[in-house]
Amino acid sequence: MFNKRISVLLVGLLMVGLVVAGCGGGASTENTAAFKVGMVTDAGTIDDKSFNQGTWEGVVKAGEDFGLETKYLKPNGTTEADYIKEIGNLYDAGYRMIVTPGYKFETAIFQAQDKYSDAKFVLIDGTPHNGDYNSVVKDNTVSIFFAEHESGFVAGVAAALQLQEGQVGFIGGMEIPAVQKYNWGFQQGIQYANDNFDTKVAMQAENVVYQGSFDNVAAGQQLAAQMYDKGVKAIFTAAGGVGVGAINEAKSRAKTGQEVWIIGVDVDQFTEGIYEGDKSIIITSAMKRIDQAAYDMVNAEKEGSFPGGETLVFDSTNNGIGIPVQNPNLSDDVQKQITDVFKDLQAGKITVSDEQGDLIK
Amino acid sequence: MLDVIILISPYAIAYTIPLLITALGGLFSERSGIVNIGLEGLMVVGMFTGAFTITKLETVFPGTAIWIGLLAAIIVGAIFSLLHAFACITLNADQVISGIAINMIAGALTTFLARNITGSGNIQILYSLGRKNIPILSDIPVLGKLFFTMSYPTTWLVLVLLLGSWFILFKTPFGLRLRACGEHPHAADSAGVNVHRMRYIAVMVSGAFSALGGAIVIVTYSGEFNGTAAGLGFLALAALIFGQWKPLGILGATAFFGFASTIANVSQVVPALAQIPGILLKTFPYVVTLIALVVFSKTSQAPQAAGEPFDKGKR
Repeated sequence: MFNKRISVLLVGLLMVGLVVAGCGGGASTENTAAFKVGMVTDAGTIDDKSFNQGTWEGVVKAGEDFGLETKYLKPNGTTEADYIKEIGNLYDAGYRMIVTPGYKFETAIFQAQDKYSDAKFVLIDGTPHNGDYNSVVKDNTVSIFFAEHESGFVAGVAAALQLQEGQVGFIGGMEIPAVQKYNWGFQQGIQYANDNFDTKVAMQAENVVYQGSFDNVAAGQQLAAQMYDKGVKAIFTAAGGVGVGAINEAKSRAKTGQEVWIIGVDVDQFTEGIYEGDKSIIITSAMKRIDQAAYDMVNAEKEGSFPGGETLVFDSTNNGIGIPVQNPNLSDDVQKQITDVFKDLQAGKITVSDEQGDLIK
Repeated sequence: MLDVIILISPYAIAYTIPLLITALGGLFSERSGIVNIGLEGLMVVGMFTGAFTITKLETVFPGTAIWIGLLAAIIVGAIFSLLHAFACITLNADQVISGIAINMIAGALTTFLARNITGSGNIQILYSLGRKNIPILSDIPVLGKLFFTMSYPTTWLVLVLLLGSWFILFKTPFGLRLRACGEHPHAADSAGVNVHRMRYIAVMVSGAFSALGGAIVIVTYSGEFNGTAAGLGFLALAALIFGQWKPLGILGATAFFGFASTIANVSQVVPALAQIPGILLKTFPYVVTLIALVVFSKTSQAPQAAGEPFDKGKR
């Protein structure tokens, strides 16, 4: 008898709770000054030194600067249902701005932007669609892309100038646009340096590969080992965990005195390539300022100028891409030349194609 | 083809060795009658312990830190496997369920510890183990290139352990008793063998070896702990069955997996292999394993009592 009464009471409490929560959700939307910013992580962890971490750092910085509450949730898997569940959880907890990094969120955001029309969504590196790639960016969503090809281009020029001659290779993760554009831009960068600065850096078709995943560390190490064995001097890795394996291989070779290099990706990977004292095998890194993009969007929302419905591109003109400010492995001359090349890129004197054309893969 | 094999051999061996030592750990456990599908989790524990110990010590003792890390992994792996041993041997729990629990808790616990102690779920070591050509032996034509160039010291350590395990399991009274516990524990018991103690020892050896395997992954080809062993533990388990619970069989099976996976991984950059579709190469080892398991299923050499809790009163 007693048990029964308690359970009735509990059910009653739960129902009241639901009603209150439902109301709470609707009421807080008018107030844009203090909102909560949530993030759902893509495959991998929050400290992946890449996509998730970059996004999260931007969100946290914005949260600290503007006194906003921030939180991230890690889905159990990487399916659309997993993502939608976590987006729903954030929404139910009162988060009205949700940042999601990675193209895998495209279909989830497509649904979420309708379902939670009073929340703002930031989709980095993707555009919402219904699985058919017909992009639909609603007024409460902004889709952000980076000019990876420009980033790869600058890194390619820098690497070619520093190496002067020899062979270079490329290891990509999955064959998706963001990775492909890095590759194509990199090849154009090498070509540009060969044409304009008289460097003699070669790239062979067999040394341009997409491993097919972002987490196969062993394959990354083995691919890099094969390339280095064939005489490749530097490898551009745009491959997440696969790149970790390649960096590890380069480190163990550098330690025995072999001249091998890696060009890092997404963030400044210099410290990850340190093999002795302060010597690193990372020549430079092709960065995209994911943190900046996330920060800017939170800032825009706070200012009431959230660019909903737009597809933004972060490129050289708004400093959304580039190589790190400090590159201990680049000589001062190279650094100077690169600064000029970057200025030409910003001024539109150099254009980098984001299509394959007659480039390798 | 031989050129290609010679080209990839050092890396294939590096990939094989952690599989081999982990499968060898599984061999001890299963031979004593305890199925251990927690090998994957035990590898993760070894990876974490190894990476963590090495990052703490490598600035003070560069070089020896790696060996201390391997030793720490062995010890922690043996202790961690006591969870499985206690559940399966003392409490007579279902061994498969306990193994799954080990796999689940290992990944979560190590990532949790890594986050809280180092501030990041990924632990990267600065210096990995160096590769050396073995003097004289590496000059032998073909064989020298295949086995003695760019080899890690851990490769030889594991091969010595393989030889030692074979000797202990098949040439000593201790090994005979251990195997008896896996074939017919009641007979062993009536002959005065302490079945529980034997099984505890065997499970601890499996924990120690698997954790060593995980730590070897860290100090050789991966260089970074990231909370997962990427299925290597399960691959080792498959190799154990494919190798028919025999040390030499396991060596063959793991080498097969190692070479086949490496060929699949590097096929894109080796012109001779590039024309074969990558998907074929990638699925090849698994398809062969499936076929082998079907073929061997009639004549399986699995220990008779593997998977059954030992109940002294039930004869």
